[in-house]
Amino acid sequence: MAMQTKAATRWIDRAIIAVMAVLGIFMLLPFAWLISMSFRSVADAYKMPPSFIPPNLDFTNYLAVWKSSVPFLQIYMNSVEIAVIVTVGQLITCTLAAFAFSRLQWKGRDTLFFVLLVGLMFPAQVTILPIYLGFAKVGLINKPIGLALMYLTSSFGVFLMRQFMHSQPKALEEAALMDGAGYFKIFWRISLPQLRPALSALGIITFTQTWNYYFQAKVLLGPQDAMTLPLAMDILRGYLGQGNLAVVMAAMSMAVLPVILLFLLAQKFVIEGVTMSGIRG
Amino acid sequence: MTVIAAPTSDLRSSQARAGYLFAFPALALYFVFVLAPVVVTVILSFAYYDPQLGSHWVGLDNFKRFFFDFRSKQIFWNTLRFTLFAVTGNVSVGLLLALALNRAMPGWLLYFFRLAFFLPVIIAAAFVSIVWGYFYQDNGIFNYYLRTLDLPAVHWLTSAANAMPSIVFMDVWKNTGFFMIIFIAALQGVPRTIMEAAIMDGTSPWRRFWRITLPWISPVVFFAIVYASIGALQVYESIYILTKGGPGDATRSMSINIVEEAFGSFQIGYGASVAVVMTLVILVITGVQLVISRRLVRY
Repeated sequence: MAMQTKAATRWIDRAIIAVMAVLGIFMLLPFAWLISMSFRSVADAYKMPPSFIPPNLDFTNYLAVWKSSVPFLQIYMNSVEIAVIVTVGQLITCTLAAFAFSRLQWKGRDTLFFVLLVGLMFPAQVTILPIYLGFAKVGLINKPIGLALMYLTSSFGVFLMRQFMHSQPKALEEAALMDGAGYFKIFWRISLPQLRPALSALGIITFTQTWNYYFQAKVLLGPQDAMTLPLAMDILRGYLGQGNLAVVMAAMSMAVLPVILLFLLAQKFVIEGVTMSGIRG
Repeated sequence: MTVIAAPTSDLRSSQARAGYLFAFPALALYFVFVLAPVVVTVILSFAYYDPQLGSHWVGLDNFKRFFFDFRSKQIFWNTLRFTLFAVTGNVSVGLLLALALNRAMPGWLLYFFRLAFFLPVIIAAAFVSIVWGYFYQDNGIFNYYLRTLDLPAVHWLTSAANAMPSIVFMDVWKNTGFFMIIFIAALQGVPRTIMEAAIMDGTSPWRRFWRITLPWISPVVFFAIVYASIGALQVYESIYILTKGGPGDATRSMSINIVEEAFGSFQIGYGASVAVVMTLVILVITGVQLVISRRLVRY
């Protein structure tokens, strides 16, 4: 009797996993379509049935993107510039602040931490208009660096790093303090090395998020040579016209490449970062 | 000089100095790029802003227009409707997927599932919306398969009735993996002993889910609902790229409205008031969640 139920459970398990596998393949179909479309010849772009496996490995469409009148290289570099500056900036400002909030005693600390956390509830929509007006005054409109400046720190990043630091033992830092080490030395030599997994998680999350910003970029970055990739895709779609769907998809493949690579190489950190941010509240 | 007391108070004041120094970059940037802009947005929402011809106060006019204007009401309703459906879809599908995957399987299979369900989460909505735009086109891929099955074509995005559900469907495809991941983590926290005792007692899986699993993970479910709502209320690029807010105003969201009013019609004050309403809705949802989750006590 007990054996039978066990066998039944095993079959149910297998059936569920089989259903999930089919679902999982369906989830990936849009990406398969996007990649295989980028290799189709322009003449075949709209031919049905659609293909989900590249018909060949002809990079003509990719070359066409680079040769088009849209400054794709400039746009790509804008995206890289913003994502790199923001990621490095957040790693620095958030870990420094996390050290202050987690390891040091100072007046107003808990109040300021609370004020910082309130920031989690403010969407970009409620900050962007004054930032736009301010940037217009100081000449930062249509400059990729402007968008980067907005995100040099984040409430979420400080929170994530502080939570992680809280879960680490304090003993080493206290011993170093007793030995007369300076605070920066303690931060640099003792705290920072312990934070490595959290740094990877925050770095990957921040890079991806920044790579994907649209609303903020739409408001702050107008002309084509100031744009980031998400904005440019929509322009390319209209600009390259209906017949060049294959070329748009080639541009898209290149635009998603860094994020997909990052995910394939560091799935563990991405997933951990997400769960850390979600669960350890 | 109090020789004995000096070291500790020195330590304390140097620690305080270090505290301010370490926290300063983050706090300064936060004040400049978050807090101050929020305050200015609130101020702008009570004004007609025109730097050339002169600004003036309009009191509550912007908010009155928001709540009484026929178009704004539709836009507000669109946003709430999108939020309701997208949150329900994302959270419930995410939970179902997590329940399905919360069982023993080989490592490569788990890697595949995480890849398949999480990849859409990390790819920009702007990118996937363009792909889905081609799928949803009147002569696109979905209708091609409907035709091969001898079914009538569907106006996925070009009919006012279908556009919003189509956008929600894409949104669930894109975001549900995030909720699946946090639910899997939460499900692993459900104590095995309680579950095994219930199985021994012959409790049905259905009852086990409602009586043990769900209450145990309810704080995470509430967190997920709030997190999903905050995201969904801001919906912008998926709608903008798929329908530009149309047909008519059928899918226009508050975010799209803010950009159009502030930069299309130069109604910066009005745009600010829409942003303030959006933020207030977020604050209310977060507040309700805090109150409810304090009452929900895990056993």
